[in-house]
Order: sequence, then C-alpha cells, then structure tokens
Amino acid sequence: MKTMKWLIKRELWENKGSLVWAPTVIASLLGMLALVAIFLGKNVQFNDEGQAMQIGKVTIEGAMRSRIAETLSQAYVASAMPVFMILSLLVFFYCLGALHDERADRSLLFWKSLPVSDLTTVLSKVLTAVVVAPLITMSIGIVLSLVILLAACAFLLAHGTNLFGAVLGSADFYLAPLRLVGLLPVYILWALPTVGWLLMVSSMARSKVFLWAVGTPVVTSLLLLWAEKALHFGFDAGWFAANVVNRILLGVVPGSWLVFSKDTVSLPHEDNKLALPDAIFNASWSTLGGVSVWIGVAAGVAMIAVAVWMRRRREEG
Amino acid sequence: MSAIITASNLSKQYGKKPALDGASFTVEAGRIVGLIGPNGSGKTTTLKAILGLTQFDGELSVLGMDPRTQREALMNEVCFIADVAILPRWLKVKDAIAFVEGVHPKFDRSKAEKYLAHTKLSPDMKVKAMSKGMVVQLHLALVMAIDARLLVLDEPTLGLDILYRKQFYQNLLEDYFDEHKTILITTHQIEEVEHILTDLMFIQDGKISLSASMDEVGERFTEVMVEPQFIAAANALQPLSQRTVFGKAIMLFDGVQRAQLSNFGELRTPSVADLFVATMKGTYA
Repeated sequence: MKTMKWLIKRELWENKGSLVWAPTVIASLLGMLALVAIFLGKNVQFNDEGQAMQIGKVTIEGAMRSRIAETLSQAYVASAMPVFMILSLLVFFYCLGALHDERADRSLLFWKSLPVSDLTTVLSKVLTAVVVAPLITMSIGIVLSLVILLAACAFLLAHGTNLFGAVLGSADFYLAPLRLVGLLPVYILWALPTVGWLLMVSSMARSKVFLWAVGTPVVTSLLLLWAEKALHFGFDAGWFAANVVNRILLGVVPGSWLVFSKDTVSLPHEDNKLALPDAIFNASWSTLGGVSVWIGVAAGVAMIAVAVWMRRRREEG
Repeated sequence: MSAIITASNLSKQYGKKPALDGASFTVEAGRIVGLIGPNGSGKTTTLKAILGLTQFDGELSVLGMDPRTQREALMNEVCFIADVAILPRWLKVKDAIAFVEGVHPKFDRSKAEKYLAHTKLSPDMKVKAMSKGMVVQLHLALVMAIDARLLVLDEPTLGLDILYRKQFYQNLLEDYFDEHKTILITTHQIEEVEHILTDLMFIQDGKISLSASMDEVGERFTEVMVEPQFIAAANALQPLSQRTVFGKAIMLFDGVQRAQLSNFGELRTPSVADLFVATMKGTYA
C-alpha cells in the first residue's frame, strides 16, 4: 500500500502538467468565458418548451421559476462537460507515454534498481489513468460548475429573481456531484480495454507510439473492409470497427458506454428535452448488465498483463 | 567467507553471437571486485544477469537467490548505478529522496542528506538542471543511504571529469564500503580503480579468463626490465607480452619465480592496465 502511494505520487510528479495543470487551465478559461457571457452577454437565453426567452428582461415567478431552479440544481454539473471531454485526451496520452517514456529517457533501469515489482508499477499507472486522473478532473469540473451555477444565480438575483434558496435547498444540488463520482466505476470498466491497449502498445513500441496505437487498429479495419468489399469475405468489417477499434481507442471518453450500448440500453428522455441526470446515471449503471463490457474488461486485463510481462522481460540496448 | 555470487556456466546468445559462453566465477563477501573486459566481451550481460535484467542459461545465485525469479526480493539487498540507468529529467532532489525512502525498506534518509550537504545540490533542484557529475552525486547519495549487501557499478563515472571521478571513488571507499558490503564494478578507466580493488576478474569472449585477488595477481605476475644481454634467456620463459620503453625491453611473466626473473633485471609489479593489455592481446585482431 505504501509503495503504491509513492508510485502514484511519482506519476503525479512526472505528469503534473497534463493531469493537473491542463484541466485547471482549461476550467479557468471556461469559467472566465462563462462569467463574461453571464455578466456582459445580452443574449442569455433559456430554451424551454420551444419558447426562447431572455432572462435579463423579466422577473421569473411561479412554476417557471421552480422549473429553472430544478434544472439548474440537477444539471449544473453538465456545464463542466468540456473539462470531462478533455479528460479522455489526458488519459489517452498519459497511457501512451506511461511505459514508453521511461524507456525513451532511459530512466527505466533506475526504477528497476528499486525493490518494486513490474506488476505493482504497471498497476500504479493503471490506477493513475482510471482513478486518480478522473478524480482530479471531476474535482476541477465540479468547482467550475459550482462557480458557473452561483454566477448564474447571482445574475438572476441582480435581475430580480432569487434562486439561491431554491437551488441550495434542493437535494439534487448536493446529489449531482455524488452522481458524477458514482459514475467512476462505470468509467473504469468501460475504459479498461482502451487503457490496456494503450499500455500494451506503450510497453512494446520502440518509437512512434501514437502511430502504432491508432494506426494498427485503423489499418486493420481498412484491410478487413477491403477484404469484405473486394474479396467478398464473409466478415463484417463494420462490426470489427464498432466493437474492437472503437472500444480500444475511445473507451476513455466519458459517456462512451451510452454509445457503445445504445442497442441495449436506451436513455429515457422526453422530446426536445435533455435527459435528466438521474436517467443518465441509471442508464450508465445498467450498461454493466450487458456482456460486451465484461468482454472488454477481460481483454483490458489481458493486455495489461502483457504490458507487465513486457516490462519484466524486455531488454534495452 | 561466504560467497555473495556464485555463477556457473552462464550462457547467453544475442542472435548467433554468444554474449556469455560458459562463464563461471564466485564473488566473496566484503570484496571490491573489478570485472574488466574489452567492449563486447560480456561484461554488461554478466551484470544484467546478476541484476535479473536478462534471461540466460546456467546456474546463478546472488545472495542465495535466483535473479530470474526473485528479482524484487533481491533488489532489497542489491543496489546498482549504471551509466545507462539515468535519473529522469523531471525528478527533484527532495522527491527522489522521498520516493526511495517510500519504497525501499533499507533507506536511511539522514545518510543521503548528510552526503548531499557536501554537494551543491539543493532539495528543489531538478535533474534536468544538473550537470552529469551532479546527477551521479545524487544517484550516489541515494545508493549510499541504502544498506545493501551488494553494490553493482557499471561504468559509474563515464563522462565525468577527474574531480568528480576521484571524489566518487573516495566517497565509496570512505563512507560506504565495509566488511559487510560487496562491490562489483566494471569500468574502462582501470587506472582509477585498481588501487581500490581487492579482486580482479578479466572477461574475454564471454568467458572469465582471470579471477584472482590483487595479492595473488601481485604474486603471479611480474614485470621485468630486461637487460639487453638477457633478452634471449628471458624470451625462453615465454613472457605474456613484451614492449619497449626508452630502449629497454619490458616483459610480463605469468607464474615465473621472482628469484629467477630478478637475474634479468629490475622487477616491478605490473599495473592492471598492462596486465589487461597483455592478456587481451589480439582481441580486436
């Protein structure tokens, strides 16, 4: 346990720029943009039931008021969505470098001179990718969305509509971040095939890791497509692209599971309205009822095992 | 005395070229052993085998463990500094100390800090801001703070200036080495290590061609500045090598009685470098 703590610290020292500063800077920029839009913008609109209205001009009362308060307190976390999308890039490139950089800068032998097994080292990198990095990004995202929410409420207050009480008094306001963190297990399971694939390539490729990681599955898909179309092989290249290529490249995108299981799990949402956060939460967990996620987990674990073996056996120079 | 390393019949091939070809040797506790050989003779492969960094055939026991299967346990007792084991550029001095303290059960922070106090390194300094000599100082500080039983050094001072090199070996001898520790060292800078070695191993074409203590080496090998009139007689005793310095023939003999040789001229104990050159004759021919 103690060793793992230090290994994860080590990963954070090495990758502080991408895992901590990148999301912080992006969140700050988004926050500033949002604040500028809220306080200077003349066209802040709520689209509700097809009717656009400018909140700067009217005082909102009654059912409309509680509806806005409800939406805000349920969905405010969604305003940090761009930060969560950045997370997929961070995790993707973190995994690509995780086992390659130590070989490239020849520090591998230094790490290997310490009594830490290859399994523990690789696991520390997996944990950093699927637990530590998402938690950091989530915290930053939650802070950002809180800032935007409070700014929006302050703006409304300045125009005569006080939503502070309604929003802060709503249980959803407190549940929203918990729901987000509660999606982490789903994220981990769906991200494992991608993390495993990237770590495996990272442990194998001598150089041009990105090209190997992305090129191999894409070229394979094209070859299969060609074989299917030109040679009339009875193989479904589209299936391969959707079930293998996408899963090993896009699994680190938050929410990818809803796309991957769209045939089996549908999001209940009313027409023209955003799906409600608890519906997203429930649908996300119900994707774990399918078989495909577990096949992906098994494949991911197998590829991580290959990465451990490569780190153990591979000789440099 | 107990053997720290026992190797018998180590073999390893890279493709068709043998890197180790049945090398056998033992290293006793409390010794400083120099493993000396020309480029491509199997030095680094031997060290990698001892450190569990490569697969090989043959029997090898390091501190009673098999490096192929018990690497992690072995690394509690073994340290190494290699020219190729570079500290990562982003690492800070204080983080390096904290990390090794965190993962190594035998690390003593106060020793590392005491050693670093004599250098120009500061806790917040990053490796990328250091000269090569300073990086080696940091690495040595980390290693000297670990109470390991075996220290393996692979060209530790390559690329350092003479001040750093002298200081490195001085620190090693004065502050690190004691009768419970064993040091195995490879280097091409033979002149700088020969006075600290207690044992010498020559490796050639993947085989150990000489393994002896420095005392035995002194008894076995003798250099003679042969007077001109005795050259034919001296040649009859089959010297290992012969060179000429200021018009005088200097011959190196293996296992010839000193009393017998003293008739030919002035006797000297050969330097390890001369011995090395004589033994490895024809390696690149």
